Amino acid sequence: MDLITSWIGNIPEFAVPFALAALGLIITEKSGVLALGAEGLMLVGAVIGVGAALTVDNTAVALAIAMIAASVVSLLFALMVLVMRINQVISGLVLVFFCQGLTTLTGTLMGWTNQPVSGLGAIALWPLSELPYVGRFFIQNVVVYLVPVIFVVAVWALNRTTPGLRLRAVGENPQAADAAGISVLGYRLAAIMIGAALIGLAGAFIAVLSNKLWISNMTAGRGWIAVALVIFARWSPWKALAGALLFGCIEALIPQLAASGIKLPQYFVFMAPYAITLGVMIWVAASKRDSSSQPGALGTPFIREERT
Amino acid sequence: MILGLLLSGAILVVAGVPAGELLNEFVILTLFDAQSLKSVLFQASPLIMVGLAGCLAFRAKFWNLGLEGQMIFGAIGATAVTIWDIGSPGMRLPLMMAVAMVGGLLWAVAPVLLKLKLQVNEIVSTLMLNYIAINVLLHLMYGPWKDPKDAFPYSPKYDSFELLPELGSGLSLSIPIAIVIALIVLWFVNISRAGLYLRFVDKSPKVAGAVGVPVAKTILIAVLFSGALAGLAGLMVAAGQEGRLTHSFYVGYGFSGILIAFLARNNPIAATCAALLIATLFVSGRSLQVFYQIPFAMVQLIQAVLVICVASSDFFIRHRIRRVQGGD
Repeated sequence: MDLITSWIGNIPEFAVPFALAALGLIITEKSGVLALGAEGLMLVGAVIGVGAALTVDNTAVALAIAMIAASVVSLLFALMVLVMRINQVISGLVLVFFCQGLTTLTGTLMGWTNQPVSGLGAIALWPLSELPYVGRFFIQNVVVYLVPVIFVVAVWALNRTTPGLRLRAVGENPQAADAAGISVLGYRLAAIMIGAALIGLAGAFIAVLSNKLWISNMTAGRGWIAVALVIFARWSPWKALAGALLFGCIEALIPQLAASGIKLPQYFVFMAPYAITLGVMIWVAASKRDSSSQPGALGTPFIREERT
Repeated sequence: MILGLLLSGAILVVAGVPAGELLNEFVILTLFDAQSLKSVLFQASPLIMVGLAGCLAFRAKFWNLGLEGQMIFGAIGATAVTIWDIGSPGMRLPLMMAVAMVGGLLWAVAPVLLKLKLQVNEIVSTLMLNYIAINVLLHLMYGPWKDPKDAFPYSPKYDSFELLPELGSGLSLSIPIAIVIALIVLWFVNISRAGLYLRFVDKSPKVAGAVGVPVAKTILIAVLFSGALAGLAGLMVAAGQEGRLTHSFYVGYGFSGILIAFLARNNPIAATCAALLIATLFVSGRSLQVFYQIPFAMVQLIQAVLVICVASSDFFIRHRIRRVQGGD
């Protein structure tokens, strides 16, 4: 029984990075830019978050710095896809490789590897936290409680505000948006940077709040799982949030299995999230629904006719 | 390219390598010293394999990011042959090669079939399969296949007849194998019928289908070929360099293969040259690691910077041409 209680209590901690990264990806991709760099940007958020937390000893400031750092690094991606119009798949991959190299190097040279940080204390959401079994679900740090708020704001902004609608127009039909006087590249740049900030926060969450230290390549493919999550959530933030909770349940189960003493080969347990991601992708593809929710111009660079 | 190298140099100086030493380290020591030239060539052969594997898959418009997983399964297959002592000593090495290629090929079957039948995004599926392969490898290395004589998660050492032999003067057999395979790939993409089809598919899958090219079959062949080459690369690292299966032998290769293919624009000859360049980076990266305690991740960073610079130089070349035509 203790196991189930602590499993439920751990779910949010594992679900939040997926949720934030998926939301960041959705915002970027709604503008028509295929964002495969999430894994890399999460690493940037993670290493800078830990570095900042070690330096300034203020977790909130550290998280903000991590978000800004991921945004700044995403400028490189923006330069590649928006200005140079390099293939967006290649650009995303290069960004991941670049960040993997950069973060490992930064972590090692600055001596941030394996240095513990303080993190944030948990706040009990009374009276929900007093419920039997699920009570621990409502004893979390502040950032966990902020996630639903961030989602509501993001969905509202995407669906109800002029900039949000323009952003989606840019993603669906950049030519038409351009003709309507919307700056395609400007909106795409903004979408990349806002998305990167959220993805960076996801990485910082893993490092600063969850594990409370930095290890090189610690995101371990979670950025890619988030990419898959966005595909099978069909670019819908709420479905992505549900998917993130599902993956949170799965990931939270792994340490529980180890603690419960059930004898399972540990590496087969570790591969479960990846195998399940693959399984869900196959399942979604097999039960083919309409793909109209994919942004129409996803992955295509915007080239305005040359003016002479 | 030159800008990329200069930038990488700058990064290294920032990371604490004296600039004068750097030139020494990279250019003189690596290219003009017979010993390290050999190690560059030695290092190049698995990189040529993964580079060619990348070229083949990308020509079929298939983002095979699963090169690492395919390498791992190639090496696991080869190691299985050594552990269970299958075949006579004389036949062992050819058998290991065949099994390695089959291993890599099998690990590429699922993503390509899923892509062709169900349009499952191959970028995500191949990457997920990489993580699964890594965990299988770790399971074997820490579990059933761990060498009891060793504290590290390594398999038992291969017997001498299971290693890629040296052809005198320190040159390994893997180099001629790599060259032969490069020629086969060159024949495949330029002369064979499948290569012609592949060019159709690369240019426009729709038109290719309309004029009667078997698109799905062509993609299938190219991707499986790609997986087999990656498996062979796994064998080259295991039986050529390490002499055993280790828990991290694959690190950096999958990524390098993709970058080599991109730098070479999917051209097999150019890929061979690019692999030599990346091999130089690998070798000097290792010596930098030893002498300056710079993590091997530096090599990865430099490769990424190189690709960004090459890709952007492309843009500037195109851009200039367009401006002239525009005629203000």
